Amino acid sequence: MVQSVKPIPSTWCPGCGDFGVLAAVKKAAAEVGVPVHEQVLVGGIGCSGGIHNFIEINGIHALHGRLLAQAIGVKLANPRLTVIAAGGDGDGYAIGMGHFMHAFKKNASILYIVMNNETYGLTKGQASPTSQIGFEGNIEHPFDAILTALSIPVPNFIARTFSGDPKGMMQVLAEAIRFNRANGGFAFVEDLSPCVTYNDTFKLWREKIVDVAKLPGYDATDRKTVFRLCLETMESGRIPVGVMHRPKSVDPETAALELKLLPDRVGPAVTDIALEPNRAAYERLIQSVT
Amino acid sequence: MTTPAARTTALPAESGPGEARRPKELSDLAVLIGGQGGDGTLTVSDLLGRYFRLKGLYIYTSRNVLSRIRGGHADASIRASREPIAAMKSQVDLIVAFDSEAVDVSRAELAPDGTILYDSSVFHSDLPNAVGFPFATLAGGQLGAPIYKNTAAYGAISVMLGFDPALTRQVIEGRFRRRSPEALEKNLKALEIGRQAAIDAGMGPRSVVLDGEARDQVLTTGNQMVALGFVVGGGRFFAGYPITPATEIMEYLMRYLPPFHGIVRQAEDELAAINMVIGAAYAGARAMTSTSGPGLSLMTEGIGHAGTAELPIVVADCARVGPSTGEPTRHEQSDLSHLANLGHGEYPRFILAPGTVEDCFYLTIDALNLADKWRVPVLLLLDQALSQNTVTSAPVDLARVRLDRGKLLTAEEFAKLETYKYYQFTPDGISPHVPPGTPGAFAQVTGNEHDEWGHVSVNPANRVKMMHKRMDKMLQAREDLPSPRLFGDDSARIGLIGFGSTWGPIREAQSLLERRGVRSKFYQARTLFPVPTETLRPFLDSVDAAYVVEHNFTGQFGRLIREALPEQHGKLRSILKYDGHSFRAPEIVGRVTEA
Repeated sequence: MVQSVKPIPSTWCPGCGDFGVLAAVKKAAAEVGVPVHEQVLVGGIGCSGGIHNFIEINGIHALHGRLLAQAIGVKLANPRLTVIAAGGDGDGYAIGMGHFMHAFKKNASILYIVMNNETYGLTKGQASPTSQIGFEGNIEHPFDAILTALSIPVPNFIARTFSGDPKGMMQVLAEAIRFNRANGGFAFVEDLSPCVTYNDTFKLWREKIVDVAKLPGYDATDRKTVFRLCLETMESGRIPVGVMHRPKSVDPETAALELKLLPDRVGPAVTDIALEPNRAAYERLIQSVT
Repeated sequence: MTTPAARTTALPAESGPGEARRPKELSDLAVLIGGQGGDGTLTVSDLLGRYFRLKGLYIYTSRNVLSRIRGGHADASIRASREPIAAMKSQVDLIVAFDSEAVDVSRAELAPDGTILYDSSVFHSDLPNAVGFPFATLAGGQLGAPIYKNTAAYGAISVMLGFDPALTRQVIEGRFRRRSPEALEKNLKALEIGRQAAIDAGMGPRSVVLDGEARDQVLTTGNQMVALGFVVGGGRFFAGYPITPATEIMEYLMRYLPPFHGIVRQAEDELAAINMVIGAAYAGARAMTSTSGPGLSLMTEGIGHAGTAELPIVVADCARVGPSTGEPTRHEQSDLSHLANLGHGEYPRFILAPGTVEDCFYLTIDALNLADKWRVPVLLLLDQALSQNTVTSAPVDLARVRLDRGKLLTAEEFAKLETYKYYQFTPDGISPHVPPGTPGAFAQVTGNEHDEWGHVSVNPANRVKMMHKRMDKMLQAREDLPSPRLFGDDSARIGLIGFGSTWGPIREAQSLLERRGVRSKFYQARTLFPVPTETLRPFLDSVDAAYVVEHNFTGQFGRLIREALPEQHGKLRSILKYDGHSFRAPEIVGRVTEA
């Protein structure tokens, strides 16, 4: 047995919501039965982005806001890997917003977990894209990632979880990972993960969350209905959580980017690039185009 | 090289009435075709190119277009020669003008005995050497669309330059046969309309292009050769964002890569492109992106990340006029200083600069090998002329291709390790590694400063060791980096130094200088950074003066050389050009001889 890198102790504050995500990711991957060496965790920048250091896993720590681009690069290079990108709300919805929107458009089968604490914790509590009006002098409207995600009609998986409900979160992440492993497309999970130091919303959020699955008319395959339920919940001052969208059925032949590009699932990272097996094909190519 | 016995291609029967003088024999000819964007100037250039290739000539073509889809002045130039060429001729022998602006813009480039052939259905010219034909109305009237004026013009040119009628027709068939029977038929008619008009006007061969022996050549561009080099070099993942003059690399690869399980993605911006490439490289694919100045600025963040995370990426920079949006379609070599100092902080990088289209193929493969072996970002620096101008070139030789994946371990080799540290300290600074997905292997990869395991570290002793691990690669790798090419007289006391597409004009300038009795030697740099002092020092020691020829305002390569070899300061001179156009050989000759 080769000795590989070991996890280091977490650097998060005691009681941080991100611990819930860490535990849920581990349990969900184990429950789905993903071999650990086939998992890649792409971390963003910020407290939450350090998550890959605290698990025995292949981790890559991306640039601020760029984790989705790196994660999609990993997945397309080797579609057999289970790729999880995890970062914060500033990373994903501010500096990384362009990549976030395009991740829906691309629809590669990766799981993206945003640990939303409505603040920039690591730089000591500035307003973030999801901060409420009035927080640290914020006068801009908070961004809602679930409504945005629902508005993009792509076959994908969308959910919101709460770190105060680790069991529920584990189940959602397990479903998301299964969805990815079936090459179903992009899975986006926003976890409400309070920053106990700069924006401790544990108690507030526990009171405000509403499980959309318990609302009348809920159907996770129907975007319009779930969008309306979420909007109504928010208008009443509450926060909707739960599985917001799952396709009626997974159609791997048409849905996920990696399968459109690589129908036989042999990715660029594992194909034989040696000259000899390809020589004749190279010569034909060069002759035909020059 | 030896030149073949001259054979003319003129047919006496083509001479028009009253044609008495003997046609001038040309072994080197340049034609400029100008008009509005969308006039089809490129069509004429393409047809001429096809003819000249059938006649065994070397050709070089360039385009002068504005950054817009249609309209605005556009011209295409084509040069054909019995000698290998890699630059435009300093003067044009024939201008084909579809509007009066084309004459105004290009007249200064016309040789004293040159001719202007213009479309008299659009304007009239009183210039003594101008000949007008109503191409648009002639072709439009008989064929129903003025677009056939291009083929009609080609027909008139074929008479003026004494083309072989059968080959002239073969060119039209070659280009239009696959379009549709109607397109072929109408273009053949347009050809005859143009030919007949020239014959009727007594335009029989004024000059005749001699045949050449460039039989084994391919016609290509630097961008196409980068794309082919990437495929053959085992490149399998490419992400980019459209930007002139780099876009064709992505477009070619969209066609070339999929049969080899390769992936090409057009990303939402250059930030995404470089980071997708980083992710793919981490996963084990040979990965590259290509861009130009503005995109390079955005990618700078990612390239630094790859430098510290020790991930092997290749970035091709097809330089254009900068800064900001600059002149997107024009030529410059002003990104070098940026590349050499790319990003905040310090990390190793190699900058390679092919000088010919053929070199683009081999250096792209070298770049992939060097990135993989040394686990550093490798920057492949082209310039607009090298990227986009088409030129005849010797076909590439796959027997010269070697792939080197460095210390990439197989799963079996990995299993024999006791410990696996992604950033293990080693004498050469390169750590053995496996891609994610290898059973039993875990790694942490980060752009934060890290220890050997890849865990974030701010330990001062570790920081110093890690800086040496990375930065010393620029010393350790020196023998691996592409060597320069030296041309000219070894005992000459005048040196020329250049990189990229200046190879062509410098080589021609050397011939012109030699004819004047001035001996020179040329150091074509193929590695620009780290500055190849081990070869530059003896070169500079051997000359009295060295002219660094480059397309920028501040003499960027000259400054890098001075910084690396300050004792050579007194010998270094700069020959600079930054007007958006490539050097012509006489400009270099003038600067060398005036000194």
